[in-house]
Amino acid sequence: MDESMLEAYLFEENELLDKLDEMLMSDEKEGDFSTDDVNEIFRIMHTIKGSSAMMSFNSISTIAHKIEDLFFFIRDKGIDFVSAADKKDLFDLMFKSEDRLRAEIEKVENGEPLTENVDDFIATVSAFLDRLKKDEVKGESDAAASASSGNAGSVPGTEKDPGAPEKAQTADAADGSAVSNIDNTAAVNAKLAGLPEDAAAQQFIHIFLEEGVGMENLRAYMIVNALQDCGIPFRTYPEHMDSDPSTAQQIIDNGFFLAFDQADDCQKALGILKSQNHIRSFEVIDAPRPAEEKKEAVPANSPEKKSSGAPASSAPQKNTQKAKSTSETAKKATPIKQSLISVNLQKLDSLMNLVGEIVITESMVTSSPVLKMLPQEAYDNFNKSARQLRKLTDDLQDISMSLRMVPISGVFQKMNRIVRDMKSKLGKDVKLTIVGEETEVDKSIVDSIQDPIMHIVRNSMDHGIEATAAERIRAGKNPQGEIILSASHTSSEVVISVTDDGYGMDYKTILDKAEQKELLTKPKSSYSPREALNLILLPGFSTNKEVTEYSGRGVGMDVVKKNVEAVGGAVRIDSEYGKGTTITLKIPLTMAIVDGMKVTVGDSIFTIPISNINQSFKVTAGDIILDEYGNEMIERMGNFYPIVRLGRFYNIPSKYDANVEEGIMIWLEAGDKSCVLYADDLIGEQQVVVKPLPTYFNNYDLKNVGISGCTILGDGNISIILDVAGIYAAAVENA
Amino acid sequence: MEETIKKESLSDVISDIPADTEEETRDLKRCLVFESGGLVLFLSTEYVIEIINDHAITSLPVVPDYVRGIINLRGQILPVVDIRKMMGKEAADYNSKTCIIVLNIDSVPIGIVADNVRSVLDIDMNEIHPLPLHHPQKLANGMLKLDDGTVAMSFDCHALVQG
Repeated sequence: MDESMLEAYLFEENELLDKLDEMLMSDEKEGDFSTDDVNEIFRIMHTIKGSSAMMSFNSISTIAHKIEDLFFFIRDKGIDFVSAADKKDLFDLMFKSEDRLRAEIEKVENGEPLTENVDDFIATVSAFLDRLKKDEVKGESDAAASASSGNAGSVPGTEKDPGAPEKAQTADAADGSAVSNIDNTAAVNAKLAGLPEDAAAQQFIHIFLEEGVGMENLRAYMIVNALQDCGIPFRTYPEHMDSDPSTAQQIIDNGFFLAFDQADDCQKALGILKSQNHIRSFEVIDAPRPAEEKKEAVPANSPEKKSSGAPASSAPQKNTQKAKSTSETAKKATPIKQSLISVNLQKLDSLMNLVGEIVITESMVTSSPVLKMLPQEAYDNFNKSARQLRKLTDDLQDISMSLRMVPISGVFQKMNRIVRDMKSKLGKDVKLTIVGEETEVDKSIVDSIQDPIMHIVRNSMDHGIEATAAERIRAGKNPQGEIILSASHTSSEVVISVTDDGYGMDYKTILDKAEQKELLTKPKSSYSPREALNLILLPGFSTNKEVTEYSGRGVGMDVVKKNVEAVGGAVRIDSEYGKGTTITLKIPLTMAIVDGMKVTVGDSIFTIPISNINQSFKVTAGDIILDEYGNEMIERMGNFYPIVRLGRFYNIPSKYDANVEEGIMIWLEAGDKSCVLYADDLIGEQQVVVKPLPTYFNNYDLKNVGISGCTILGDGNISIILDVAGIYAAAVENA
Repeated sequence: MEETIKKESLSDVISDIPADTEEETRDLKRCLVFESGGLVLFLSTEYVIEIINDHAITSLPVVPDYVRGIINLRGQILPVVDIRKMMGKEAADYNSKTCIIVLNIDSVPIGIVADNVRSVLDIDMNEIHPLPLHHPQKLANGMLKLDDGTVAMSFDCHALVQG
């Protein structure tokens, strides 16, 4: 297990528990939970459950899961549902849970093995939940009905639900030591799912009839009859549907259940059900089973694992994995003490600013002309100290930059989850390969690229990878699809790419589609394949005819593009029809410091981000081509690009406006926009600290004319930082 | 009468004058009196941060011509507005008397170019008359006769930042 991951986990867990503690303390003073706090506790437990399960700390995740269930229930009913006496008990219980979780986390910290059996605690929570439920049953069956039908059989409280399939393993009545717990927990789960209590049953089928068919009890009975005719043994809930008309309402609200002792019978029944009328939906539910670690504690007692419903199919594998890594954790007995603190991002921002100023001031001091007046020996001494100072300030700058850097693994790990969920939903077999997750990125950038990456991964899963393995085999590919998520550094940017080996995109289809949607801005034939691919980044473009749960609402890629450009990045699409697609995001390491090229026009100094510069070159007047309006263009690498004369564009008297031989052309590129800028001179390269323009200028919309900020140069003068996309938009597109 | 007030001396002048010692009917405010484009203007010292001389101004493209540009004031970037131009008067060359008054108006920091700074005076806000003109004024929102006989206009700071 990765040590840094463990460290981050411990940090997160302790922080969450601290938060929980704080909340409980203040709530207990009030004597009541606020609705917000109930939600917050639910979220905290959900997070602890999730990350503990990821780290294979089963006892922690089980406890958190149980409390999550409890708070799901409370959240669902509203905190006012809980009586004052129960609230007091709830506080006690929560403090106990917090202590329990802390105790386990402490064990993780010290490298000790975790408690294997947390049944006693689970039972306490379950008993409490039961008590609450009993209160509820006394008169609120309607509410329960809507809750269970809304949740259609899955255990409420686990919307994301890695735990449910595990819990829904086959009932294991043989585990003598835990019989009482099983009954207890089983009952709880049963109620959660609206399942009838039937200890002997292995599987249930939960059936809903079509709405408004009338005489529901009798129709249900007819279905039951049909099954009985086939000789399948089962029991029905509610019982006596034929003779008790009052069950009709129950069936409308809750559907009805068939309980099977053998999974085989259940499978047979499914076949027959398909031919029956008036059934709106039915679903196989495994009989509830107590929390999964019991099985790990007594593996010998484990019954054969069933592969019944689709949701349960991944569970057995998961369990074995867990068991394995638990023992791994136990082996590794080196104590890991966390050494992380959380700091307000604003403080880091001001630190960065200050350090930026120090670096600039340092170069102002050391290059001051006054120094020349020092006698030679003193000047040498000064230089010696100055060099030392420079080294220190450089180190200081590096460290203060690195403070804001976090590994991108957090974002990538979430993709694992998305791929896993979509895999079972879409019935595609896809492997997610992650490369370079230790790559570090500025914190603020990580936050803003998570959604774009998620979107691209979803798109790849949904549209990229072939719908069936057979189709892949026909195309001569590995039946298992693959999505590669990779991150790497270049000197000034992070490159994140999502590659799938699916259909690939046909640029001709894209062009047709874009034509239909009237997104083309020039004749169809003049689009290059790359330009055609870029069309999918336009708002309102979606190649899939059907909107699915995950993607295809046509709001996808344009949002990706917008989000990435907001952090100064660019999106690039490469796709080969039949082979697959790669979408690459290039994002600057940090937005606070930019590698800039200083250029002059007249007396003004402008800074152009180096990442936007392709090339700078001299031209003769003959190289410039004019269109019918006199707009200038120039050829570069076989393509023609518009020339933007910075001096004319900003209305600044330029030194060499008349003879272009003296000035310099700078070929710029931002995303898919490219143009050539004409300026007087290049001064040189410099790392600059980006400062926003004063708020006073918000009225003037300078962003739209290509001014994105400013910076203070070494001599104290100000240089304006140009935004290439803005210049292109203002000078070329809207000219 | 004329004196260029440096940053340090300004605060000295301010602290010399005790607050609210006058009668109830008078609403005294300490005001900075300065000249621009032939007008004598005054504004409450509560907006004034400091007065600086001889500062390099970096001009900005595509903004109205009365926005002189931006300056670097110890690492802080400030916009500088030439109020002489804002009032539609001819631009004058900057000389040794010219200075930038750094203001903070509703937490918008901004510098204005003044031809000359005169002094800090106590001005009774109740004595300020509205301008007897129908033309809406850009930056002046009242007038008053000073003790030495000159007529001074009240400078409308908020109009400046909303401008």
